[in-house]
Amino acid sequence: MRKLIVMLVGLSGAALIAVGAVTAAGSASPDGRLTIAGPTMKPDTGAGELLLVVLGGVFGSREEAEAANAQMTFGDVQGYYVVPVAQFQGFREQIGAPGDFALVSVFRTETGAQEFAAAAQMFGHPATVLPTRVRSLGGLYAGLGQEASPSGEGPLTGPIPASLP
Amino acid sequence: MGFTERLRERRRRRRLPIAVATGVLMLVPLTLGWHWQKAGWRDMHYNYPSTPTGYSQIVNRFGQPCNANASAISMSWRAADNGVTYTFRFHKKLGGYPTAMVPNKGGRSTNLDNDVYGHIQNDHLGQYAKSGIWGYYCRYIKNTTTWSTHAWGIAVDISAAYEPQGSCTSTVNRNFAHVFRNHGWRWGLDFCDPMHFQYAFGY
Repeated sequence: MRKLIVMLVGLSGAALIAVGAVTAAGSASPDGRLTIAGPTMKPDTGAGELLLVVLGGVFGSREEAEAANAQMTFGDVQGYYVVPVAQFQGFREQIGAPGDFALVSVFRTETGAQEFAAAAQMFGHPATVLPTRVRSLGGLYAGLGQEASPSGEGPLTGPIPASLP
Repeated sequence: MGFTERLRERRRRRRLPIAVATGVLMLVPLTLGWHWQKAGWRDMHYNYPSTPTGYSQIVNRFGQPCNANASAISMSWRAADNGVTYTFRFHKKLGGYPTAMVPNKGGRSTNLDNDVYGHIQNDHLGQYAKSGIWGYYCRYIKNTTTWSTHAWGIAVDISAAYEPQGSCTSTVNRNFAHVFRNHGWRWGLDFCDPMHFQYAFGY
């Protein structure tokens, strides 16, 4: 009789431990750490295309521009990019301020540029959509591709009539 | 005290906890009903999509990043600290379905704008939702070229001014994070981004 009781107690204990373990495993997050599991998009410079620029500021040096950019948070998403002013033809003529480096994000569509400018302003950052499109000479990645396609099916990843020279 | 009186007293003592429990059980639904009616809100749990895990499931369930549905629904949320009302957009599968609190916005579920928001307000947790509230953005994750969950309209940042990215502790959002979790959302505190809530795992 005593053996039976000991066995029952043992079995009950084992069952409780098993249930606890299964519950713990089930309630755990499927991934407890940060893993960026999405594909990495190829940086698109739009070389040769006519692009719209949203300007966040112009600075004398790359260091100054980087420092200013570090202060401009856009929550947890990417904000401006630091690029040389000379990277875009027709850029210097429009900025109206001395300096060789600028905070920009470039777009192919007016909607994309206006939406980003509105977002930047909501985050409390300066944002001006330059009135005239500039020609990309390649160079550093400046944010192209982060706008909705007019088709409504996804991101815009290629030229549109307005961006073709 | 006679035997009969002692018996009665004993019975009365036995009945008291039962009476109290019955009273409480009757009072709780009545109070909740009154409370909800007062706020004009019901937790509907209507037509939630199952929370995706990983990039492929996100695309299968919500489409490509920046698609038209990702920014189809908008809602407003007043920050408790500065009184600013933030209006942001999100995916039509996560809200915009007509309820007593939400007008018909052409959405397919009651998740975010009715249920999560309603819960937070009705539990008097709105006081912890502070400045810096946003949703859909067609942007990459900071310093990467990988799409943020914001690009699908399945992420919301709340109290951004108080919950900086990179912080592995929370100051205010911890007070209502359980509401998001109970409605299929993952809290970014898991990866040291306490302002961030996303309707996806494994990403």
